Amino acid sequence: MKVVLFGAGATGARIARQLRSSGKVACVEIRDQQQAKALRLVETLGSGTEVGEGRQIAADTDAVVLATPPGSQAAIARRAVHRSVPVVSTSNQMSEVRRLLTLGQEARHHSVPVVIGAGFMPGLTGLIARHAATELDFVDEIHVAKVGTGGPACARQHHRALSSTGLDWRDGKWTRRAGGSGRELAYFPDPIGGRDCYRAGLPDALLLVPEFEGVERVTARQAATRRDRLTAPLPMLRPPHAEGGIGAVRVELRGRVGIERRVLVMGAIERPAVAAGAVAASTVLHVLEGKAESGAYGLAGMANYLPLLRAIGDCGVRPMRFEGVTTFL
Amino acid sequence: MGGRALLTLVRRAMVAIFAGVSVAAAIRVRGSGGVPPQKGGWRELKGPDLE
Repeated sequence: MKVVLFGAGATGARIARQLRSSGKVACVEIRDQQQAKALRLVETLGSGTEVGEGRQIAADTDAVVLATPPGSQAAIARRAVHRSVPVVSTSNQMSEVRRLLTLGQEARHHSVPVVIGAGFMPGLTGLIARHAATELDFVDEIHVAKVGTGGPACARQHHRALSSTGLDWRDGKWTRRAGGSGRELAYFPDPIGGRDCYRAGLPDALLLVPEFEGVERVTARQAATRRDRLTAPLPMLRPPHAEGGIGAVRVELRGRVGIERRVLVMGAIERPAVAAGAVAASTVLHVLEGKAESGAYGLAGMANYLPLLRAIGDCGVRPMRFEGVTTFL
Repeated sequence: MGGRALLTLVRRAMVAIFAGVSVAAAIRVRGSGGVPPQKGGWRELKGPDLE
């Protein structure tokens, strides 16, 4: 099987490594706007990988993975769908996720899946939410949050998001809220612990709301410091790091079992680029096995999600569950 | 208004501004809330949890 991977950054490199080591993909063709970067990655990984160029999708391609900086993925995804090639996108940009969601009808027409936001958050958070929802009769609220960034493109997007308008689902309506507002202290898996999280331009609600019928509230927040909030409207004051440190995601579901109200808190901890690489690569393998339905959706919409969640766990990114009592401000 | 009265007014204004800034800085640094109580811990989901 042949997979074309766009993007040879921190996440792209992890995806290529995981696909190659799976033994199920004969060739991973790596393309990057900086040809030298793709070449370096191919030299590092060795056999089973090759450098490609351009945006054309060949007919013998079995799947396309998009790990390029946000904003550049929708056009390639559309091209792949027209060629009836399945797509796995790692985009976490709200406007781009919207554009990718509009590919749903075309994807169903061509009988291919377009999996959107296959990363740490969105991505793993959607799968965790789907899994947690099985314990509830009815899901009223979903609140997701994240700490940390992957490579430089992810850090730039994180910075931009904090000054962008956030989108909440509230009582059956979309509500626009200012980025950097709505401080909430949220507990992440140890050793991250409690972090202040704020609204930001995050696409999670767009991907979660269609998958949880009747859900009343969906919000997404990201951890930030006071300095992050202060400098968010400015250009980044220094170049982003090559890769961020340890990160975490947190998923809180509030719902009902019979007449009893319940709150479930789950999460995961890992370096965001490593986790995103594991999620995207496992999703590609899931798609190649024909387990994904046609259409455009996030991982929360994956019908057969448990094998995928287990495969991600086998890559070392294990979901966690908070057991005890927690109180939020 | 005499020179002495003006000086007193300026001094009082400066003291008021200093006190206001000190309180605002203290609130900004410490935050408006403490750490919420937390009991329990995180457990990895594996085996039967993912079936």
